[in-house]
Formats: sequence, structure tokens, C-alpha cells
Amino acid sequence: MSTLEVRKTPTRLLLWFLLGSMVVLYAFPFLYLLLTSFKTPLDALAVPPKVLPDEWTLANYERALSREGVLASFINSVSAATISTVLSLVLAVPAAYGVTRFRTVSGRVFVMAALVTRMIPPVAIGVPMVGMMRALGLTDTPTGVAIAHTTISLPLSIWLMSSFLESVPDELDEAARVDGAGRLAALWYIILPVVRGGVAVTAIFAFLASWNEFLFALLLTAIRAQTTPLVIANFQTQFGLEWGAMTALATVYSLPVILLTLLLQRYIVAGMTLGAVKG
Amino acid sequence: MSVSEPGQVTTLPRPTRAEHGRRPGKGSRIDDRRFALLLMIPAALFMLAFVAWPLVKLVVDSFFEISPIAGGPRTFVGLDNYVDVLGSSAFQAAAARTLGYTTLVVTFEFVLGLAAALLFNSLGNRSRILRTAFLYPLMIAPIVAGLLWRFLLIDNFGIVNELLFRLGILNDRNDIGWLSDSSIALFAVAVPDIWLTTSFMTLVLFAGLQNIPGDIIEAARIDGAGPVSTLFRIILPLLRPVIAVALVVRGVDAAKAFDIILIQTGGGPQNSTETLSLLIYQTMVRFGEPGTASAMGTLYLVAMLVVAVVAVGLIWRPGGRQA
Repeated sequence: MSTLEVRKTPTRLLLWFLLGSMVVLYAFPFLYLLLTSFKTPLDALAVPPKVLPDEWTLANYERALSREGVLASFINSVSAATISTVLSLVLAVPAAYGVTRFRTVSGRVFVMAALVTRMIPPVAIGVPMVGMMRALGLTDTPTGVAIAHTTISLPLSIWLMSSFLESVPDELDEAARVDGAGRLAALWYIILPVVRGGVAVTAIFAFLASWNEFLFALLLTAIRAQTTPLVIANFQTQFGLEWGAMTALATVYSLPVILLTLLLQRYIVAGMTLGAVKG
Repeated sequence: MSVSEPGQVTTLPRPTRAEHGRRPGKGSRIDDRRFALLLMIPAALFMLAFVAWPLVKLVVDSFFEISPIAGGPRTFVGLDNYVDVLGSSAFQAAAARTLGYTTLVVTFEFVLGLAAALLFNSLGNRSRILRTAFLYPLMIAPIVAGLLWRFLLIDNFGIVNELLFRLGILNDRNDIGWLSDSSIALFAVAVPDIWLTTSFMTLVLFAGLQNIPGDIIEAARIDGAGPVSTLFRIILPLLRPVIAVALVVRGVDAAKAFDIILIQTGGGPQNSTETLSLLIYQTMVRFGEPGTASAMGTLYLVAMLVVAVVAVGLIWRPGGRQA
């Protein structure tokens, strides 16, 4: 398989050891967050710090989840991420199909524009967007946040979907067309089922882009539409340093996506490496 | 895992589509070119409305002095905001910090990411489980990563100083204030970013390594090349395009870093971690100077776009990924 595989056993053992320690070092920070979330709130701040809780407790979780606005923020995060994902896919799939199937000048310009959009600092469009959302009546709503997040995920989605559609042979469209299917029907019934893995990857990345985003959510929401990252950030300013509850909420927010990564790692690797390696 | 899975990273042989554009499809009423355009229009309209239009507003605002109150007065001041911004030491320092932060993050990520990718590669398929474990920080929100590392690096009860103390490197747990000492804070705030996305470098470089044909390496070995010269003379040059893309993608992201720094230090101590994103945000929100913030944003944007255009021109080349 691998081209550079080392075969000598002693060297291999050394390399395994090196890699093992690297992975342990890499995994430790989150593991420590997880362990801290099960300590008593006082133990979380103990000097010297302990790695394992003396007493395992869910107190931090109770505190974090019962705080006002926390559950609502989860609903807001899920709503914003879902709306943004759907919006990205609905806009990106046809666009990417148009770009890859019918190689036109406008298509090239379009992909270039999408690429360049990636370079725009969010703070540059975040500032004027505040006024825009106010004018549209979307300030402090999940829809407003979702639209802002789509400005990040749409270029990425177009890029990813174009790469996936590139790998579908043209003959498939042609066969569908010969059989009398219209062009939209060919996309919907023939092409999309073939690239459903790619659509899934694109959806995951669009969802995560919104789920983890902070700046737009900060600028565009007040109280009603606050997403969870904002609430996590507020734990330390508003109520002093409540590390215990913060670690619990951070765990609740991160664990689902970490588990998702492990389950879908094949797809995530595909999405991450696409484009880069093709160059 | 095998690379020939969905979204494979290998370049597939692609049929040419030159003839496609002009031939009307069977039973279609509009030609292909117009149909392609129609498919792109919704996404293009969205980008125009929510990316291009705010950018236009940003640039226009940068020529005005604007009251922070909604609907407040605005006065045209020409290039005054730009003169102020370019002459301000805060802006110059923030620009230098942004550059420093980006260089730091990308360098560490590249070196660590390459080391991990080479290790994974030399251990072959059995390292697959560890590869999965290496992936997880990519999914964590930057805000969580920032807070987590702030917790680890805190002077008093932070685990990092405790470890250094136990190892005898520190005489006291409070000896290093990672985030409170202005001379090292910029390095310390970069740590979570490095932790968060070294995996991305590893993934991309690993995929690139898998695409290097084995016989090239074998030939080098037979010619008596050692591992070090194989790395520098053969592997790295062959990876060049992959490395370039990975560095640009990560460089751009690091230069945009906002929440991960904000949550650790808020730009302090003594502004030592205030990068451009933070400065623009503070100018807008805390100091209530939308005009000045817009001028800063415009300059920042132009700098990023120049980098973008150069990078795209050098690496992706217009029109295709077939390069």
C-alpha cells in the first residue's frame, strides 16, 4: 500500500513509540476537559490540579444545563446550522453541476470568485452585515445567523461539490439524456444518487462551519438567537471564572461532533483532502 | 485506509468536454450554456447580496465619519480615515502581530503535520486507528479550543505549569504566565490554533504522500540516498503542490483568527495579542467608530485579496484542477 513503509522491526518499534506519544499528547487536552467536567466545581480549580476526579459527579452538567438560555441556545445552534446547511446545498449542488458539466467561461469565473471569497476576513463583511440584517428585520434570528454562516459554507460547498461531480463520468449524463431524461431530471435521478457520499461530506462541512462559528453569531444576535458558542464564551465574563460548568457545556457541545467524526471519518478525510491533493 | 474511496484524492482521467458547450441537448429548449448559467444564478445572486454588497458598503463606509448610533449622522471625510489608520501605531502593530501569528501557526503546523504524516506513512495501514484519533480536534469549535487551552495554561492551577513544575523545569507553578506575560502571550495564544488544525496538515500531506509512486523512492534507495536526502531531494519536491495548497489554506485561516484569540486574552495583555480581526472588532463595537473600522477592514481585505490572487494564480491556475 504505502510507498514509504519502513520494514525493519527495531525502527518500526521506535516509530510506533514516537507516533503513540504524539497521539497521546494530542488527545490529552480534550481528555482533560472531559475529566474535569466530572469533578466537583471546587476540585476543578484545585491547586495542584488533579487529572482524575476524586469524586465523580454530574454537578457541573446540572449547573451548566439548568442555566437560563443554555437549552434555548442549543435549539438556536441546531436551527441556524440546519437552515444554513440546507441553503448551502440547495444553492451549491446546481451551481457545481453547472460548472462541471458545461465547461463555460462563466463557470470558471464563478469558481474563481467562490475561491477568492474564502480569503475575505469575516470581520470585514460582519460589520456592514449588521446594518443589512437590521434592514431585513433578521437581527437576532436564527435565519439571520444562518444566512451569514452560508456566506462561509457556500463557497466551500461549491468547491467540494464541483470536485465530487468532476469524478462522475460524463457518459452517465449522456446515457440519461439518450433515454429521454431532461437535464434537471438527469441531475436529480441519475447524478445525485451517484454522488450522495459527496453530498453527505458537503453537508457535514456546511453544518460544522455553522455549528462552530462565533463572530457572525456574536455580531448578529442579542439574546433570543444566541448560539451555544456565545453562551460558552459568556461563562467566563459574566459569572466570574466558572470553569467546571464551562467544561461541562463545552463537552456537551463538542462530543456529538467528535463522535460524528469518528463514525464518518472516511468521508471527512475525503472532504478535507479534496482539492488540495488534486492540485 | 485506501485512498480510492468516495472523493478519492487521486486525479481521475477525465474526458474532455470541449464539444459539450455548443451541442444542444436532446429535446432541450435552451442551449447548454444558458442552462449552465441558470444553474449558477441562484448561488451567484446569494453571493452578490450577502458578500459583494456588504463589501461595497464596507468600502463606502470607509470614506465617512459615522456615528455609532443606528441612523445617526454621517459625514464624508474622503481619505481621512485611511490617513488616520495607516498612521496609527495600533494598526501597524496589529498588522505585524497578524503576520507573526500566521507565520508561527503555519510553521508549527507544517513541521508537526509533516512529521506525523511521515510517521503514519512509514507505519503503513496498521496506523489507521491512531490516524482517526489524530483527527478529532478538527471538529472542535475554536471557542472551545481557546477556552480549553486557557484552562490548561492558567498560571496557578493549570496543568501545563504543574507538569513543568513536577519535571523540575519551573521552580514555582506561577513562574510562567503564558497568557498574562505580554512578551510571550502571542506565542501562547497560537498553541490552541496549532493543536486544532495540525491534523488538517497531516491529512493533506498524508494523502499527498500516498500518491508518490513507490518505485521513485525505491530508485533513490538503490542509488544510495539516505532517508534525509530522500526527504529533501525527492519527497518534498514531489509534494510541492500539495504543500503549497495546504500552506495557503491554513495561512488564510490563521490570518482570519478571531474567536480563538478573543476568548483567551481579549487582545491583551497590553494589546500584545491584538491581531487585525480583533482590532477591527474593538474599533467597531467598543470604541464605536464604524468609519475607522471600515477603513481598517478595507485595508485588511485588500491585503488578503492580494495574497489570494497571487496564490490562486500560482497554484490553482484559472480554469481547472487538472494542472
